[in-house]
Amino acid sequence: MAGRDRLTDPPPGADRGVPDFVGRPGPSAYHRLNPLTKATLATVTAIAAVVLGGLIGPIVLVTAAVIVPAVVGRVLGRLIRTALLLALPIAVSAFLVNLFFFPGAETVLLRVGPITATAEGLGFALEILVRILAISGAVTLFYLTTRPADLVVDLERRGVSPRVGFVANASVQTVPAMVERAAQITAAQRARGMDTEGSIWRRIRGVVPIVGPVILGSIAEVEERTMALEARGFTRPGRRTLLWSPPDSGLESLARWALLAALLALIVGRVTGIWA
Amino acid sequence: MTISLEGVGYRYAGATRPSLLEIDLDLADGVVIGLAGPSEAGKTTLCLVASGLAPRTVGGQIRGRITLDGEDIDAWPMHRLSQRIGIGFQNPSTQLSQVAATVFEEVAFGPMNLGVARDEVVARTWAALDSLGIDGLAERDPQRLSGGPQQLVAIAGLLAMRPEHLVLDEPTAQLDPAGTRLVAEAIARLAADGASILVAEQKTDLLAEVASTVIVLAEGRIALRGPASQVLADPRLVELGVAEPAAIRLRRAAVAAGVDDDRLKGALRG
Amino acid sequence: MLVRWIAALVAFVIVILIGMVTIGDFGTGVDAGNFFDTEGANSFALIGAIALVVAFVVYAAAEYAQTGGFASIASQFDTRTIVLMPIAVAINIILGATVANALKIPIYLDSIGTILVGALAGPVAGALTGFVTNTLWTYVIPPPFQSGPAAAFGIVAVVIGVIAGLAGRAGWLRPRPNRSSGELAGGGIIALAIVVGLAVYAYTRFYGTGFEFFNPDNSDPVFIVIGWLIGLIFVAFVVGFLGLLFVRRDLTVAYVTVAGVVTGIIAALISAPISANVFGGVTGGGTDFLVAAFRQAGSDLQAATFQQGLLSDPVDKLVTFFVVYLILAAMARRTKARFPQGERLLEDGEAGSAEEGEWRGATA
Repeated sequence: MAGRDRLTDPPPGADRGVPDFVGRPGPSAYHRLNPLTKATLATVTAIAAVVLGGLIGPIVLVTAAVIVPAVVGRVLGRLIRTALLLALPIAVSAFLVNLFFFPGAETVLLRVGPITATAEGLGFALEILVRILAISGAVTLFYLTTRPADLVVDLERRGVSPRVGFVANASVQTVPAMVERAAQITAAQRARGMDTEGSIWRRIRGVVPIVGPVILGSIAEVEERTMALEARGFTRPGRRTLLWSPPDSGLESLARWALLAALLALIVGRVTGIWA
Repeated sequence: MTISLEGVGYRYAGATRPSLLEIDLDLADGVVIGLAGPSEAGKTTLCLVASGLAPRTVGGQIRGRITLDGEDIDAWPMHRLSQRIGIGFQNPSTQLSQVAATVFEEVAFGPMNLGVARDEVVARTWAALDSLGIDGLAERDPQRLSGGPQQLVAIAGLLAMRPEHLVLDEPTAQLDPAGTRLVAEAIARLAADGASILVAEQKTDLLAEVASTVIVLAEGRIALRGPASQVLADPRLVELGVAEPAAIRLRRAAVAAGVDDDRLKGALRG
Repeated sequence: MLVRWIAALVAFVIVILIGMVTIGDFGTGVDAGNFFDTEGANSFALIGAIALVVAFVVYAAAEYAQTGGFASIASQFDTRTIVLMPIAVAINIILGATVANALKIPIYLDSIGTILVGALAGPVAGALTGFVTNTLWTYVIPPPFQSGPAAAFGIVAVVIGVIAGLAGRAGWLRPRPNRSSGELAGGGIIALAIVVGLAVYAYTRFYGTGFEFFNPDNSDPVFIVIGWLIGLIFVAFVVGFLGLLFVRRDLTVAYVTVAGVVTGIIAALISAPISANVFGGVTGGGTDFLVAAFRQAGSDLQAATFQQGLLSDPVDKLVTFFVVYLILAAMARRTKARFPQGERLLEDGEAGSAEEGEWRGATA
């Protein structure tokens, strides 16, 4: 455009760099760890909790790999609340199911009608409970201390395709957007007299007229969004420029490999029976 | 830089009839061209064809020649073309990338995709925000903005690509009156600064404000073409399905009521 | 090029062997001190799925080593597919979370997006959609939609995406309306034969011993109820299937049914060992009650999760495939056609207009 230079060149004398709200570092030392490190820790902890089995193992693991970092990160209170909330439905189900429906058990603790609670069942139920809490804790710690966009940017810096990064980031933003759209449609339907509370059947029937418009409405936007992205150079092959990326250090890299090695050793040990 | 369309026609995939026929159009530097016409006349299609999205992204078939400073752009991929011509759409929210937490990152999305050096990305982003007067919104969440500001963010995102020409397809169609005013004023400022824009609008008042030339499309062909003041006052507008600008309607009504046209002209100019 | 495929095949075989050796060594039965409590044979599907993923990774690594990029994989992902995927992921998560948390019915409904992307864009895109869904669902999505167990089942979602992609590529989801009654009857019989055959096989393999659903001597009321329920579901399925087939007169109903049931069975086989070993058979949804019921009947943990899965998954995937079929039917021809596999989802003879004279399509 004739005025293009006037419009898009920076005014002389202005020197604003990347604004500080882009990639703001976290409030604690644990927050400021590289996102890949935190992700590795969460995954290794979750898998180790399963591999270890028993009660002592996962409890020690949770203390070391979840509680301690949570204290450092000053998120312990939120962690406990959120992890329990996450684990609650599963924990309750797991506990009851295993307590009462443990076949082949001998020691009866309680008899409620046709179903019985057994000691073996209780043992197994507690084990599963601890395992689920460990997994919830590890995953929640990651969720509370890491912005998903930060992990995606870090992976992109390491070579993951920007398109995969786009899918991950956009998915995170689309979930609440779609929920909002569903809420709007629900409100509109309710204004037209649709019943949304009540028995299971009513609720199922109530969900159907919302799901259709939400899904089809979202799909209808695909064409517009595709055009808008392509108009912004999205089809250019290769890497794109990043405004910032989370810092990483040799020490953290070492720590990640050490964690993976430890997990591998644990798995091999358990599977081959070396470590009972 | 001039974009020239010579004898251009376009047909959507699977369509029997073409949506555009025999379009001859030059988009030159520093000129704002208004595109008017009833719905389904082909305004959107012309915008898509001029920007290259049709047939690249949208499919379909094209005929005729499109050249950029004389060079045929048929084989240009979309990401190359997007650096020369930017296109904005009606719906502000579907233009958002969905991966930016702040307006700054949203506007930077385009230059980032182009792989331009980081300092350049930042400079372009600030410049684009400044030229639309929205640098104050830099930290806001683009998804949470209302229609008008959101549309400005979308346009800023296009400006950050540093295109030589801007195509805007009914930018105020989905905005409330406040948003419409905001975007109209922004476009007027861009125009005053010498931008090259092709803006399609049903709101002919807006075109009267910013465009120097106006083209009216009807059934895929150019029906009227000329200086804005002339075309927008043309009595055939109504039968072509285009709403006249309010000022023109007012003048017509006043003259019909017996007010002397010359005195009216004098009064309006004053 | 060949090098990559050979490397992938070698990796596939190695992983399977490792898996069989590792898991085959342990006996059945729940042993709290033990880790893998699975017969090698029952976990073969999971091992196969893991091998598939490893083989794919090896293929990608080989391509990266050879060419410094992932061109043959990335080229399957055009902008339109990339735009659809987050929508698909969101549909998966929202519906899946709603069904599991709010409705408590023993199905999942968390694969509609995965199968939709697979059908429109191909196996790799479908697989990635599944993977991203389950991973984000655990690590990144906030409560109340967050699901702790989801990431462990990522591999199931991957395989579902692959199957949907292959089904789409084979043209199974292409509408076939207005077929003659003879064709419909033929298709219907074949589909029913396949489904019934699979059901009978599954019944004898997994439910056979000690299971007397209709036996009046069995005093446990739970089983009589479940038995009748299963019978009812089966009858409803046959009636519904035939009804739908002949009312819509669309032969694709038969294809969709078979695809749904087969996908469901494969998904059940892969997910049961994960559910049993990692979560003790309980993942927080409505399916837990089914597992409990089967354990009450005397099945051990492994068997109970298989039994629950083989009931829930085929029903779930059948419904899911039908929903995808309906969504595809509601999408405009033009919208579908632009997707990588879109042409295979259109009715025959619906292809776009030919290029003639001066009309030309996109060259860039």
